[in-house]
Order: sequence, then C-alpha cells, then structure tokens
Amino acid sequence: MLGRPAQDAVIAVDDVYKSYGDVKAVDGVSFQVAKGEIFGLLGPNGAGKTTTMEMIEGLHAPDSGELHVLGMDVRHSATAIKNRIGVQLQTAALYPQLTVTELLALFGTFYARRQPVEQLLDDLELGEKRNAQTKNLSGGQRQRLSVALALVNDPEVVFLDEPTTGLDPAARQGLWTVVRRLKDQGRTILMTTHYMEEAEALCDRLAIMDHGKVLDSGTVDELIGRRFHERGVHFGRAGAPEAAKLEALPAVSRVVYEQDEVVLFTSDVPVTIAGLLDLTNRAGTEPANLMIRRASLEDVFLELTGRALRD
Amino acid sequence: MRALRALSLANLKSFVRDRAALFWTLAFPIVFVILFGTIFSGSGAQYELGWVDQDGSAASAALRAAFVANAPVELTDGTFEESKARMQKGDVDGILVIPKGLQAVIDAAQGGQHPDPIQVSVVTDPSRSNTALAIQQIATGLVMGANLQLSGAAALLTVAPESLQTGQLNSVSFFVPSILAMALMQLGVFASIPLVQQREKLILKRLNATPLPRWALVGSNVAVRLIIAAVQTALIVGIGITVLGVQIPGNPLLIAAFVLLGALTFTSIGYVIASFARTEEAANGITSVVQFPLMFLSGIFFPIEVLPSWLKTVATFMPLTYLGDALRQTMVGGAPFVPLWVDGAVLGGWLVVTLGVSARFFRWQ
Repeated sequence: MLGRPAQDAVIAVDDVYKSYGDVKAVDGVSFQVAKGEIFGLLGPNGAGKTTTMEMIEGLHAPDSGELHVLGMDVRHSATAIKNRIGVQLQTAALYPQLTVTELLALFGTFYARRQPVEQLLDDLELGEKRNAQTKNLSGGQRQRLSVALALVNDPEVVFLDEPTTGLDPAARQGLWTVVRRLKDQGRTILMTTHYMEEAEALCDRLAIMDHGKVLDSGTVDELIGRRFHERGVHFGRAGAPEAAKLEALPAVSRVVYEQDEVVLFTSDVPVTIAGLLDLTNRAGTEPANLMIRRASLEDVFLELTGRALRD
Repeated sequence: MRALRALSLANLKSFVRDRAALFWTLAFPIVFVILFGTIFSGSGAQYELGWVDQDGSAASAALRAAFVANAPVELTDGTFEESKARMQKGDVDGILVIPKGLQAVIDAAQGGQHPDPIQVSVVTDPSRSNTALAIQQIATGLVMGANLQLSGAAALLTVAPESLQTGQLNSVSFFVPSILAMALMQLGVFASIPLVQQREKLILKRLNATPLPRWALVGSNVAVRLIIAAVQTALIVGIGITVLGVQIPGNPLLIAAFVLLGALTFTSIGYVIASFARTEEAANGITSVVQFPLMFLSGIFFPIEVLPSWLKTVATFMPLTYLGDALRQTMVGGAPFVPLWVDGAVLGGWLVVTLGVSARFFRWQ
C-alpha cells in the first residue's frame, strides 16, 4: 500500500488526510484501484467515502497525502485528469430548464473526446425522455441521466457516488446492468455505496470505511474469509432434535437458537449435515427449510465496527 | 470557445424558460416606463410660450391672435433675453421669435412680388423632448395656416426650430434613461440568484468536475447578462421613442459604452452578493437590501437635489447615481450631476473593487 503506486494502478490513494475544522473527514486513507476493476468504498453515511472520492476527482485538495489518477498527480494535472474521467455526484446536479439532449450536448462541448448523444440515450434508456426538461424526470431517470453525463467523454475511469440511493429495486437492478456494461467496456470504476448487496453484486474489490479510515480491503471472499471460517447450517426450530445431540454433532462449534431457526456453526458443512440428517432420520423426521449460509459483509462490518451498517 | 458559446446558450435558454425571471427582467421595467411615462406626460396639454415680437406690426399682432385662438398655448410677451431667462427658470416651455420684416414681406407679397420667406424661430429644450416636439408641431401648423390665409399658396413664413438647453429635464425624458439604468442595476444584482441556485443545486460543483475552465463559466454568465442587457435597452429605448415620443439625440456608441459598463459593474456586484449568500433565500434578501436604496437614492425616481443633505451624501456613493447620470447625459442631454468622465471613473472603480472582492470570496461549492 505504501511507497510508489504500482504501475498498473489507475487510481492510487496514499495516506490522504482531510479535516473540516475539528472533524477528520478522511483520516489517513490508502488504496489502489487496478485497471478494469470495479472498486467499492463501503461504509455508512459520514464515513468519508464521498470526501475521499471527490479529492480523487480534484474537487477538494487533501490536507496531506498523495493522489494519482492514470499515473498523473491530481494536484498538478487536474484538468488533464478531468478530461479522461467521468464523474457522477451523489446529488444529481442538473440545469432544471434544459432538456436531456441539450444537457448531454452541452457537457459534450467541455471535452476534447466525446460519445454520440444518441449512443448515451440508448445505453441509459433515456430515448423516450430526450426532449423532457430535467426538472420533470423521475428519480430513476434523473440518476440515469446523471450517469449518462459522466459518460459523455467516453471516460477511462468512472466515479459513481451512491448511484442507486433512492431508487426502487427494479431501477437499481437496471443501474447495476449499466455498471457491469461499463466494466465490460474496459473502464475502471470507483463507486461508493452503503448497500451490502450492491457491494457484493458489483464490486471486484472493496474498502470498508468508517470514521474516515479504511478498516479493511480486499475481495468479498477475502474480507469474509479473513475472520469467518465457519458457516451456518440453518433449519426450522419446530421438531428439531434436542440441543445436547446437536452440540455433539461433528465439526459443530456452537448452536444458536433464533426465533424460528436453529443455527449450527460448523467448520465442515458436509460432515455436519450428514450427522444432522442421520439424527432426524432416526427420529423419523427431516429438518425443515434447511439452508447453508456463510457470513456476509454485514457480519464483517459488525465485526469491524461493533455495529450494523443498516442506517 | 465552443464550450463558452454552448454554456451561454444553455444559460440563456434556462433564463428564457424561467417565466418569472423573464417577467421581472423584461416586462417589469417596460410596465414601469409606460406607467410612469403616461403619468408624467399627461400634464402637458397647455404650453406656456415666450412671445418675442421683433416686428411690432399689425401682421405680427394678427399672428399672435391666431396662435392664442387656435392652439393650447399661453403667450408671455418679452424680449428674447427676458424670454430666455423665463425658459431657464422653467416659467415657459419654449419661445417663439417673430423677426423684424414680417409686415414688409406680407405687404410685398400682397403687392404681387415674390419676396424671400421669413423665418419664425421656435426655441425649445431638447431635453424635454416631447414638449419640444409638441410645441414645434403646434408652431408649424399655425404658421402653415397663416401662410394659406395670407397668400393663398406661397410660403411666406417658415419655421426654424432652435434649441435651448435649460438643464431641467422634463419627466418623461428624464425617465427613460433612469429606468434603463434601474433595469441594468436589477439585471446585474439579480445575477446573484441563478449563481446561488446553481451552487446550491451543485451545478457549479458538477461543472468543476469537468475540464471546463472557470473563465468560461464566468464568461458565459456575464455574456448572458450582457445579451439580456442589450434586449432590455432596445425595449426600453424603443418604447420610449415610439410610445412616449422621447427623442434620443445622443451618440449611440457612447450610450452603448455606458450600458456595457453599467451592466458589467452591477453584474460584478451580483457576484459579490453571491459570494456572501449561502442560500437562495439569503441571496434574495441581500438583493432586496441592495437594490431598494439604490433605486430610491440614486436620482431614478426623483432628482438627488430634493434629498435631505445626509441622504445626498449617501447618494454620492451609489453606483447607480452615476450610471443614471451618465445615461441621462448621453441619451437626452440631461444636466450633468458630475462630468461624464467622473461617471465612467466611479463605475469603473466599483467594477474593479467588486471584481476583486468576488475573486477573493466567491465559492464554487
């Protein structure tokens, strides 16, 4: 993490600090994003995700630390970097009285390189709304337009700040498809989110942030595997075998009774399930709603911060 | 450059599509001009004129009688010097001068000769242009009538219009440049509102995330203000000329230069407001606080001379005082409050200082 950025790092953040008055918004953050990956900053509101991202975009200067994008120092080459990146801000910022096509064409004039407006309308499914003034768009349409504006210059790096906040599940799925397509096109994506399932569904790698610090980073599997070696075998509590027998099953470390479920924590799922089925067979029953669950990012976050991410 | 043009067009479209902004910047000053113009010009049915009879003949006496009988005029006899003094005091609106030789020309014509026509001078004040126009029309009409009566056809009398600047502007002529100055002031200080809106909606921040240079962003906002200023000027001057009959005899380039300087200075003041207003509500409040004293203490609705002395002192610091003064001087030849170069210097000074303040304090996000 320290020292010179790796050759293939598209984004390199090295020991960056930023305070607003007494508040340490970003408190020594470092991470690198490789070409072509979707990198997520995951954390609750106020964790410093947006400030970190906006410093990389050149919107705020860090108090200290190094920021490089596409091999260029953000301090000295902000304009050159801005030409090659696409930015979607958390709150969609649009001219209310301009139409969708007018706005896309306007932003096109700011860049040396640009994608055809028609292409953007198609990709973001905004064709029907092309002549609507932006003040008349729905939340989902607005968000798609905001992403479209980030793609006007056919950018190599795309920054998405909470791209699906406030969207209904269908609209969220639609945006996930768009983000995956951006990755397929070879773009590098840095996004923030406070949705676990979004981070799991989209991100190749993650940095978990809280109180301005990166608590841990890696792939979802790495983050979970580093602290949760066991999986949970869940089944219905009604008619379950007695506790002593369950605790005696092979590989089981502990048994937890939840409201309707029994959870067996095990280091070896097949062995434990074989033992469980053996027990129930002998009793002439079978385990209801049998399910195997591994620890989630939620559990990782709980483990790291001592509280749940849900806000 | 392409970005500057596109952004100016975008701002202009936003402006035109915002009906409220359109009304307050374009329709409101026009309503003002027409309303006040009509009120102030309604008093001019009766004209008081100085009558200078240099012929002292039966013919000149007959002409005098014809004037009084046929036109809404009241004549005061006197020498030219006496009449001029009355006009400068504002006791009469104009002077008619009947030159020596009137009787002789008429006699000659009636004797079958063809004498050179003789000139009746009509002295009016161009700064009271619609009064001047009315008096000239009345004089011309009566002289033509007299011609017909005297000779049947040949023009024995002609009318020679002359000007005498009295330094007292009449209300309507006074009003058109004043309203123009007020409209330019409002246009400028109200520039703060869209700026603060764009900052609040994070439009400025979003633009800052593109390679668009800041000069292009500022340039496009100023360009739009100047375009609107040009439209406003054309509308206000056009209505002044066509509806209110005000004549604008001034040098168009000089007028345009002061319109430009005024628009720039007040737009810069708008940027200062936007530098200190964090919210749109605050910007609205500050704009009102700034514009009302400017409106009432800058000689727009009434001359600065009528203000109590401490307010007069305040007025001498108001930039609008100087824009109004410059426009009255350049457009209708109004009496100067200060010399024109001082107007230019004061406005230029305000421009430089406010540019410095906004360069220092303006925030993009």
